[in-house]
Amino acid sequence: MYKILLATRYLVKRHITYFAVLAVALCVFIVVVVMTVLTGLVRDFKQKNHQFTGDCVVGTESLVGFAYYEDFVKLLEQTDFIEGISAVVKSYALISPLGTDQNIGVEIMGIDPVRHSRAAGFEQTLHHHKKDVERAFEPIYDPNLPGCVLGVDLALERDAKGNYDYGSSPARIAIAVTCFPLTAKGAPGRAGLGEVNTSTFYYSDTSHSGLARVDSSLVYLPFEQAQTLCGMAGPIKRANAIYIKFKPSIKLDTGCAKVATLWQKFKQEKAGEQQADLFETVAVQSWKDYRRAYIAAMEKEQTMMTAMFILVGITTVFIIFVVFYMIISHKSKDIGVLKSIGISNLNIVQLFMGFAFLVAVLGSAVGACSGWLFLRKINQIEKWLFVHFGFQLWDRTIYAIGDIPNQVEFDCLAIIILSAILACLAGALLPSWQTMRLKPVETLQVSRL
Amino acid sequence: MKREAKYEIRITRYEIRVMLKLFLWLRYLRKKKIVFLSIAAVTLSTALLIAVASLFTGFINVFEQTAVQTIGDVVLSAPTKFAKYPLLIEQLEQTSAVQAATATLTSCGLLHLGRGNVRAVNIWGIEPDRRAKVTEFKQFLRKQGPSDKQPSFDVPDSPQVIGGFVGIAVIAEPNEKTDEYNYSTIDQMLGQPVVLTTGTIIENRGQRTEDRRQKNLTSDFKRKTIRFTIADIVETGVYDLDKRFVYLPIEKLQEILYPNLVPSETEGVDGRLANQIQIKLADDVQTDAALVQIRGVWQSFIEKHLGADPYLIRFTGIETAKQMQSQYVAELRKQMGVLLLIFGVVSFSVVVLIFCIFYMIARLKQRDIAIIKSCGSASSSVAFIFLGFGGCVGMIGSGLGAVLGYIITKNINIIEEWIRIIFGLKLWKSSVYMFSKIPNEVDWASALPIMLFAVIAATIGTAIPAIVAARTRPVEILRYE
Repeated sequence: MYKILLATRYLVKRHITYFAVLAVALCVFIVVVVMTVLTGLVRDFKQKNHQFTGDCVVGTESLVGFAYYEDFVKLLEQTDFIEGISAVVKSYALISPLGTDQNIGVEIMGIDPVRHSRAAGFEQTLHHHKKDVERAFEPIYDPNLPGCVLGVDLALERDAKGNYDYGSSPARIAIAVTCFPLTAKGAPGRAGLGEVNTSTFYYSDTSHSGLARVDSSLVYLPFEQAQTLCGMAGPIKRANAIYIKFKPSIKLDTGCAKVATLWQKFKQEKAGEQQADLFETVAVQSWKDYRRAYIAAMEKEQTMMTAMFILVGITTVFIIFVVFYMIISHKSKDIGVLKSIGISNLNIVQLFMGFAFLVAVLGSAVGACSGWLFLRKINQIEKWLFVHFGFQLWDRTIYAIGDIPNQVEFDCLAIIILSAILACLAGALLPSWQTMRLKPVETLQVSRL
Repeated sequence: MKREAKYEIRITRYEIRVMLKLFLWLRYLRKKKIVFLSIAAVTLSTALLIAVASLFTGFINVFEQTAVQTIGDVVLSAPTKFAKYPLLIEQLEQTSAVQAATATLTSCGLLHLGRGNVRAVNIWGIEPDRRAKVTEFKQFLRKQGPSDKQPSFDVPDSPQVIGGFVGIAVIAEPNEKTDEYNYSTIDQMLGQPVVLTTGTIIENRGQRTEDRRQKNLTSDFKRKTIRFTIADIVETGVYDLDKRFVYLPIEKLQEILYPNLVPSETEGVDGRLANQIQIKLADDVQTDAALVQIRGVWQSFIEKHLGADPYLIRFTGIETAKQMQSQYVAELRKQMGVLLLIFGVVSFSVVVLIFCIFYMIARLKQRDIAIIKSCGSASSSVAFIFLGFGGCVGMIGSGLGAVLGYIITKNINIIEEWIRIIFGLKLWKSSVYMFSKIPNEVDWASALPIMLFAVIAATIGTAIPAIVAARTRPVEILRYE
């Protein structure tokens, strides 16, 4: 009881303690704001990557693809843990709007829009055909023409607020798409015959996935036509990947393990077939592994920022140390009195550690509340600054960011507060430990009082 | 005599005061080891701010410098191809502002490297020998870079074959863990044939559209395939450039893209096409004056030789390489400012730390202060002891911080390598951050203001303790009881 009373008394009476609380609050405020924004950006980025690929990908990095994918799709459809399956053709292509001499190097993805929506949320990214995804490749101005869906940054300009002007329907633009068809051995499929395949498609919709690289360089084509362009539509058809979405009740690792087992069995069954050697480069990966090259870069930024804030947090430890050193220096008489009435050294240490805990909790509470309030208004503050001073934290014409993330995550907040408490306890440890060396007979001498 | 004596007494008093301050500073520093904590805090904050400012500024400087090394000082970009570029280059080089100029014909294509390896690339038709005069292009070539000869597309023992240069990352990606290229595998591609496809609109010779923006419905769109042999590999150290670029002889590219527009023998150089001119400015020339001269030459060239085409006059961009990157650089500077502000605000807690320490000293050393005052020292003099001590702490801390910041910045690549070896974490990758190495030059233009700010902050932290010390009343402090 006396520990709580004394700790509270020191907190209220010793004005120097307010500086310690202020320092803790300032550090916690900054860390909460910066880590919430950074964590939010990483979380959004991961979510968009997850939506883009589904849960699991059975695929190869080779542009040659692999054969007998239809048989494997049938096998997957017979399982009870899969919700959506989409076979995909991927390659590089050159696109040229007809009537111009523009050439743009892009990635193409041949898909069945309905199946791809079930596996990878494709319909959510569309604008004109969001509610009728089966007509994604039918231009509104002429449904008989073969359509293509362009990444939004290929088709439209982003304004300073991050918005696109879609118009009521896509502009009537014919686009020549050229690919190198490849045989199953990776050789050019049209060697000596012009080397390439070219087809004309018509702009039918845009896809806005929120991923900058995808939106600026991906073109979706109808699956069969993409196969033909890439030379994969022969007697033994090929594809590059199968995107899979599990049912909500299935955990990611469990689902991927089941798919991997099925794939191994399938590989063994097909081992004697003509193009079975193409299976060597095929891997079964969760969406995290499949997109790790992109996600890892963002996570590293987060790690580096965390490391820098640890360095900054050391300053907080110093401040707590100094404040407690001062307080204990002035409270030597109190300590002498407490020891002389029988309070043990350990209890004295606990008293001051408790005091440090109170300082940490109060400082963290003030910092966390201020951070939360600031984050609630951060987007309004940025809009106000943009309107009055032309200042944006991130230029929306350069960065593919919408609103600044401002959802404080409980576990992130808990870690920050816990770290602040540990920092305060670490700072107060040495001064508290030094109280054990104080002797009542010395501290309570008349000349010392 | 009296005046001299008074003057001598003043000097003596002044020297005594200075000696007293120094004596007290050194004594407090010796006795109160906790002051070292404040020095350590200032050191840490200063080092962090200097390192962050230097790394950002270094990145921006390298980014701008690389742009100049790759595309020259000034770039003239026409909205469409134009003829007679040798004449334009000759006229530009006759001005006092231009040292050298070279033409580029640009396009995009798909490159097939064999074994199913296809890449989307940017194609630049260039004159390698002229280009080497305008940019640092020669030193980027792996095979021809070390030699004394001018770079060329010639393939040894195969004069009839078209040679080309390919960016190193087009051929192979750097290692995932070490971010380094496997040069032995890459060099095996030298001399290998590859296939490039591109395409363009073919206009019939002599036809001109009045408005270039209107679609020419009579033109044909043609896909073109180019077979060439890899004569050399280009490694600029900038991932985006090494990943996307293929270089071909400009005349060959024109023959393939615009076969109807290949200059006849009578036309000679008049029929040669380009859509970009890259320019190296003369030394010690003012950039703005040079741009004015170049614009004048271009205007005059269009009027005399290109039929005063208003589309070319209006939509041709003439900018320095730095101006072309200005939007991105401005964004980088903004991010640097935000980061420095965040760390600066947190470093404000150093002021609180210094305040606490000096307040404690002021309270504990009240007897000393009272004795000094009772000997005749003014309150301002007492206050100055603390302010000066705070300033000294700031100077020592910022000095040490500058040294620490310098060491960290200069050795940042070694530190990054150690982190990779110890923790298996590759922090800096060229595919993410553009460059192979972290720029490691200390930006003293940022470091000096940071150090000054640290000294001022430390002095501000001692302001209240100085006031407390100045208000000490000897008669109260020196009472027996």
